[in-house]
Amino acid sequence: MVRSRVVRAYILGFSVWGAVLILAIKIGAVSDAGFDLIAQVRLPRVILASVVGMGLSVSGAALQALFANPLCEPYTLGISSGSALGAVLGLSFGLEWAIAGLTGTSFLGAIFFAGILLFLSRRPGSTNVTLLLVGVMLGFLGNSLVALWIALADSNGLQGALVWLFGDLSRARLTGSLYVAILVMVLIFFIWIQSRDLDALLMGEEDACALGVDVPRARRRIILLTSLLIGTCVSAAGMVGFVGLVVPHFARKCMGSLHQILLPFCAICGGILLTFSDSIARVIARPYELPVGVVTAFIGAPVFIGIMLKRNQVHDS
Amino acid sequence: MTPNPILGAYGMSYRRSQCNEGMRELILNDVSFEMNRGECVALIGPNGSGKSTLLKLIAGVLPIHKKQSSGQVRYLGSNFYQFPPYKKAQSIVYVAADLWAEFPLSAYEVVFLGRTCQEIGWYHRHSSENERKVREAMDRCFCWHLRDRNLESLSGGERQLVALARALVQGAKVLLLDEILSKMDLNHQAMIGQLLKELTSQGWSILLVSHDINLASEWADSAILLKEGKKILQGPVEKVITQELMERVYPHSQLRVGSNPATGAPKVFFSGRS
Repeated sequence: MVRSRVVRAYILGFSVWGAVLILAIKIGAVSDAGFDLIAQVRLPRVILASVVGMGLSVSGAALQALFANPLCEPYTLGISSGSALGAVLGLSFGLEWAIAGLTGTSFLGAIFFAGILLFLSRRPGSTNVTLLLVGVMLGFLGNSLVALWIALADSNGLQGALVWLFGDLSRARLTGSLYVAILVMVLIFFIWIQSRDLDALLMGEEDACALGVDVPRARRRIILLTSLLIGTCVSAAGMVGFVGLVVPHFARKCMGSLHQILLPFCAICGGILLTFSDSIARVIARPYELPVGVVTAFIGAPVFIGIMLKRNQVHDS
Repeated sequence: MTPNPILGAYGMSYRRSQCNEGMRELILNDVSFEMNRGECVALIGPNGSGKSTLLKLIAGVLPIHKKQSSGQVRYLGSNFYQFPPYKKAQSIVYVAADLWAEFPLSAYEVVFLGRTCQEIGWYHRHSSENERKVREAMDRCFCWHLRDRNLESLSGGERQLVALARALVQGAKVLLLDEILSKMDLNHQAMIGQLLKELTSQGWSILLVSHDINLASEWADSAILLKEGKKILQGPVEKVITQELMERVYPHSQLRVGSNPATGAPKVFFSGRS
């Protein structure tokens, strides 16, 4: 990768991000918006959207590399289902306590599911494929438990849970968003320093091993870090779909697959996509708000299909 | 002469995790051999005789249960399995039959990844030393002109060249090559064969798995013959590739063993079509 091209891409990324941030803060009912509204409501929301987008896309990129599978995304491993289960249970038991902007029960649910995965990955002889399948099954299990709970419970109380399941950034508060931002940044940094192991894992498990990577340990570390990151994002903003699947592919297209330069770019793109989508979700159908996951999918799906088709063309020629 | 062989494998056994009827339970059954510095040893045998498994087991790249495998690998006399991973990759390098990546990587980047085990810390150093080593290895393996090509777009043979270059930059002196020549054209087979000769004369030791006995006999000094997970014989190629042994190992084909008029290396020919 030519260095000047990397620099140019980063400069472009940062400027677009800046523009989107300004747009996101300004857009909406500006006329009646005093400084208070912007500081108390809109700014936290923009911060939260940015960091959740960053966190989801970085964890998506890391998981895609770990499993050498382009269809992996943050929700593949079932961590998010644990989070959803925790949130639904918490809501219906009235345990709506929050730690630093995170929905407590939801975060605990994510940690619990991640714990099961990590425990299984310690078994000797477990490969990435078994782990991936176990993760997918955990996800199904979690989702069906959520569905069961919603079907059995009193529907009024769970309206909030349903909104949350599609991604909901409207609950952002300033201190909470800042804590989430710090946590996400730290976790992204720790994932970023796994770059070399991730690069080697692109070649598959056996090859990574032959290249001198301690595969079982690298795998545990990456799963632990991404789980924490996903748990943080999901419990702060719900299940925002699509960002974690599409953004890594887009970033790879621009920057190549080596993670040292890919991951930060991925983070910027994720931040841009989610902030932009959230602004649109907020204003397009006023006075109602669309779930942000719907908008990310509407923007993301055509882009994703376009990239894949283009990639095939190159491959055929 | 030499007190410690550069690579010694003793009592290598590997058990299938699930065994259906009609399959033998032991993929490898108590295989032992030693290799000296500067030797090129061919590992030959029919399909399913455990050649690739043996290679992976030695390199330690199989994800294994302790119950499934046994045996000891010694690198210059010390226990190889107790090396830390980066040290393993600096000592013995395993090159898989096919080089593959799910995501776009250029040939240069792939070879550069070979330096992973030589770097301390967590970032890639694009130091001039690394860049020089990568350039050198890619030149040696005739793939420098492919450096900007995407791995996906390379042919099987070109990928094997890249794989070999990546193995060379790791700095290990023992190469375990799995079918490295299988997808190359005659030109490249000759060029890489020549390269293998060069490497052995410079102190590299090579264990070469090959289905193609005629290729193996041309480039290897000695051979190990495997059948159904057991070692039949280890010795110079002329002693291993003989009429009697070939008939025993490949019983369903009519074979005749002759020799290459130019080099004298033993060759196997089909003697009839039934």
